Amino acid sequence: MASTLDAFRLLFSGNTEIWEIIAISFRVSSLAILLAIPPALIIAFVLAYGNFFGRRFIISLFSTFLSIPAVVIGLTLFIVLSRQGPMGNMGLLFTQTAMIMGQFLLSLPILIAMAHTSFQASDRRAWETARTLGANRLYAFFTVVYEIRFGLMAAMLAAYGRIISEVGASMMLGGNIAHYTRNIPTAIALETSKGNFAEGIALGAVLLFLAFILNALLHHVQGKGSINP
Amino acid sequence: MIDNFHFSFHDICKHYRRKSILNDVSITIGNSDCYIITGENGAGKTTLMRILAGIEKPDSAKIRINNGTALSWRSCRSRLSQSLMYLHQQPYMLAGSLRRNLEFTAKLNPAIIDRVAAVEQVLQWARLEALESQQAVSLSGGQQQRVALARARLRNPQILLLDEPTANLDIDGRDRTLIMLKAFLKSGTAVVIATHDPSIFTNLKGHGLHIEDQKLRDKSITPSRVLDISDYQKSRGI
Repeated sequence: MASTLDAFRLLFSGNTEIWEIIAISFRVSSLAILLAIPPALIIAFVLAYGNFFGRRFIISLFSTFLSIPAVVIGLTLFIVLSRQGPMGNMGLLFTQTAMIMGQFLLSLPILIAMAHTSFQASDRRAWETARTLGANRLYAFFTVVYEIRFGLMAAMLAAYGRIISEVGASMMLGGNIAHYTRNIPTAIALETSKGNFAEGIALGAVLLFLAFILNALLHHVQGKGSINP
Repeated sequence: MIDNFHFSFHDICKHYRRKSILNDVSITIGNSDCYIITGENGAGKTTLMRILAGIEKPDSAKIRINNGTALSWRSCRSRLSQSLMYLHQQPYMLAGSLRRNLEFTAKLNPAIIDRVAAVEQVLQWARLEALESQQAVSLSGGQQQRVALARARLRNPQILLLDEPTANLDIDGRDRTLIMLKAFLKSGTAVVIATHDPSIFTNLKGHGLHIEDQKLRDKSITPSRVLDISDYQKSRGI
């Protein structure tokens, strides 16, 4: 109980270190998700609307990637970005860029799998109507995206929720460097291991609050949250 | 008014899972032509309309536009999408209000300079002014059909393809649809209608065609003298 009170005291006293960690977390995860959304939507759309050899195999592959542990992504990228790796000369390891790359790869399968489900459930007439009304392929694509925006928003929120709270890839690729690559999950892991529960709880509360805000927003844009009478 | 045009579709073939749906079907469509296509369920009416509209890929087809050289369906596809418009049996209403549906269409037609005026005009033409702010998906079947025709009016296609446009409509809805289709024909748009009940469209004075045994046949010819529509058209110098 005392730790929880300390946690809120830390948050509301304007502790710069805590807020810096929160800012890094949001910056890295927001950039990662913004970079992942365009390719994920295009891949999901092609998988849902296209008809080509190997389509089902690719869908199964992305569904399999859904359950890939964050540390495995972290380990793979660590090998690629480490000095002896193929991208070692770029000096990206233990930077925010490396963390963004890790979170990008983590969010991609979730976005693709969930967006694919939304596209698959969409009415094909939306695409055909847009085309027959004179829209080019790109405009028709955005029309379909708009038609299924709630499903896509749910996919984005699920992916954002996963990457902002993952610890494995961020720890391996960012290195948990204070004021630079320390984000909420790596800070929670560190502070808890040091016995500073208050800081851990404060950061955990921020994550919970974020999850609540994102879900409340989704429900707000989706409507009243019940079926029509 | 629509500029003069002439679309000749030849040797359209299509099969689904080893079953032949259309076999060497040909049709020629020009200004203000009106064709009423009938046929049993699954005969291939919708498939033919979707192929003509550039939506569904045929196994093979040759297309001549304005007496040019015969081209494959694939190379004509974008031209078909630009010039022909296909209306689903149950029109799809885009998310948002009825007005948004019309504004969406007006935005896509570069020939429309004053979009607001064009939308207003079409709202009046389709008698939809009172419903303009309603969610398009909440409209009745007849109202949605009128929205689809209003969108078509804004799109101003050379050929309008309608799949069972009066299905599930009451008499008033049918009459309104017929009046709107007559307006299309008057402006030079060709109208091709797939239907189970051609008697509804007798006022349009359309030419009856029938899909049977994967062929498109002229309805006025008895089965013993069945001709392909292209033969019929040749015989009449079309």
